[in-house]
Amino acid sequence: MSEPTERRLAVEVKGVTRIYPGPVTALADFDLSVDYGEMVAITGPSGCGKSTLLHLLAAIDTPTAGSVIVAGRDLAQIDDLSEYRRQEVGLVFQFHNLLPQLPALSNVELPMFGTHRSSRQRKVRARELLADVDLSDCEDRLPTELSGGERQRVAIARALANKPKVLLADEPTGSLDSASTTRFLELLGRLSGGGTTIVMVTHDSEVAAHAHRIVEMRDGTVVAERLTGAATAVRGGGS
Amino acid sequence: MTFFDLVVRNLWSKKTRSIGLAFAVAIAVMAVVTLDVTSSGLEQSAAAIISVGKANFTVVQKGAADTLASTIDVNELARLRRTPGVASAVGVLVETQHINADNPVFIEIGISPSDLTTFGVKVVAGHPYSATAAHEVMLGWTAAANLGLTVGDRFNANGTWNTVTGIYSTGNAFGDAGSMFPLPAIQGYNRVAGIVTLVFVKVTKGAAPAAVAARVDYDQPELTTIRTAAQFGRADRDLVYLQAAVNGSTVLAILIGAVIIGNTMLLSLFERTREFGLLRAVGWTRRRTVGLLLGESVLLALIGAALGVALSFVIALVLENLPALRGVLHPDFTQGAFWRALFTALVMTLVGAVYPTTRAALLSPLRALSYE
Repeated sequence: MSEPTERRLAVEVKGVTRIYPGPVTALADFDLSVDYGEMVAITGPSGCGKSTLLHLLAAIDTPTAGSVIVAGRDLAQIDDLSEYRRQEVGLVFQFHNLLPQLPALSNVELPMFGTHRSSRQRKVRARELLADVDLSDCEDRLPTELSGGERQRVAIARALANKPKVLLADEPTGSLDSASTTRFLELLGRLSGGGTTIVMVTHDSEVAAHAHRIVEMRDGTVVAERLTGAATAVRGGGS
Repeated sequence: MTFFDLVVRNLWSKKTRSIGLAFAVAIAVMAVVTLDVTSSGLEQSAAAIISVGKANFTVVQKGAADTLASTIDVNELARLRRTPGVASAVGVLVETQHINADNPVFIEIGISPSDLTTFGVKVVAGHPYSATAAHEVMLGWTAAANLGLTVGDRFNANGTWNTVTGIYSTGNAFGDAGSMFPLPAIQGYNRVAGIVTLVFVKVTKGAAPAAVAARVDYDQPELTTIRTAAQFGRADRDLVYLQAAVNGSTVLAILIGAVIIGNTMLLSLFERTREFGLLRAVGWTRRRTVGLLLGESVLLALIGAALGVALSFVIALVLENLPALRGVLHPDFTQGAFWRALFTALVMTLVGAVYPTTRAALLSPLRALSYE
């Protein structure tokens, strides 16, 4: 009889509290675990701490107490958080945050500066990523020349530049029309199917329903958690 | 896309601002370089005077406002001639005359005909003037060519007509573009009897010129010796002041330019706060983010420096051809002027960039991303 294998987690948030000056408690003794390859939707009303959670996972903010462990690395123990942000996580924002002066291809290349890749390799990789998000013919276009959905797909391509283990998306469909939202969610589904862990913050329950699990937050804590049909399909298919 | 491409794209995306900044740098560089080449040109012109005579060193009055204001009387000249190690000491009076629009500052050298050979003057046509002649002159071969005169012609200078008795060559462009008169005549025209401007000293065979010059400096503290152009400031206070003004202007230009650049970069930083937040969020280090800002500044500085040097060429050309300055000002674009341009532009830009880049380095990615 074999020993039960230890559960390997992509994201582990343990007893995290984040208090901003005021004081305002954004997260209170918050816990969350996300498996590798899982897509989790974080929902809840405005100000419940969803974005704070994402910022902590992206290491652009630090917790007041508790620990955040991503891909087995305790963020509090990492000396070079830039390297962590570059290699371990990819970040997608509601308003895409593309640099307006750069064409799509160059925007995708940005996270690859500081890696071992040469400029030629960066360009090749960026082209691959744009092809993955069906934007091969848009590489020379500036963000102003792209539709909202195209911009968001460029942002995803950028977030995936260094093959991160975890993709963090903050209201990624918030500025998209329904057609673009559908395409975007299909893309997330493909990524998740390919093994990318996704933590997505959203207000939209229809969008959340595409995740494997929905975590509902209120006042900085988890108030409900449930698996979706997507998870059932995956697990059922996998069994 | 290389890092350099990114720097260029960032500057190009704000064309008007970038061009404005490059021009701010260029104007400061232009001012500094024009002053520098002008002062250097004036120094070269002045230094050329002391190089006319074939001497081991030149003696002038110490602390004179400029070389041509130096006055050495007959007693000082006689004492100089008695200094051990001095083989010959030729006293000359140097004055300037406005001849015409093309020769607003024409050099006249008063020298005794007996000193011409010692002075290194070769008469190439005609003969020297006589020692006491009142209306005789020799022209340098360049001056003769420029004025279209030859031996036997008459030349109007010092309010009188003079007969050209000979054409000379000194091997020095400055000397050859001037004229020579009997010493008493030129002293008379300028009402400075017994006075010379410069004394050209040759030392006796075997004597060390430096040692003899030091002896003169010691024995006659009212005079000073010049062996090289670099020592020229000893005699020409104007050039010392001019160089000080150039240095002061450089510092001032750097400070003013740095404030303009710093202010504009800070404005740009505020506008691009979200951009820097994003770069940090996608894994850029502080160093790389600051490097981007500095890269943009350095590129602007280099463009500004190149533009500034080009503008200073134009300004120098205009100054050189102004009727009042023709023949006096020969802007001297030395390698040093280019280094000064580069130094001014880089220091100005980097000083201006200190505060904005420090702020950029200290930006929290989260705060930067939420900056409105």
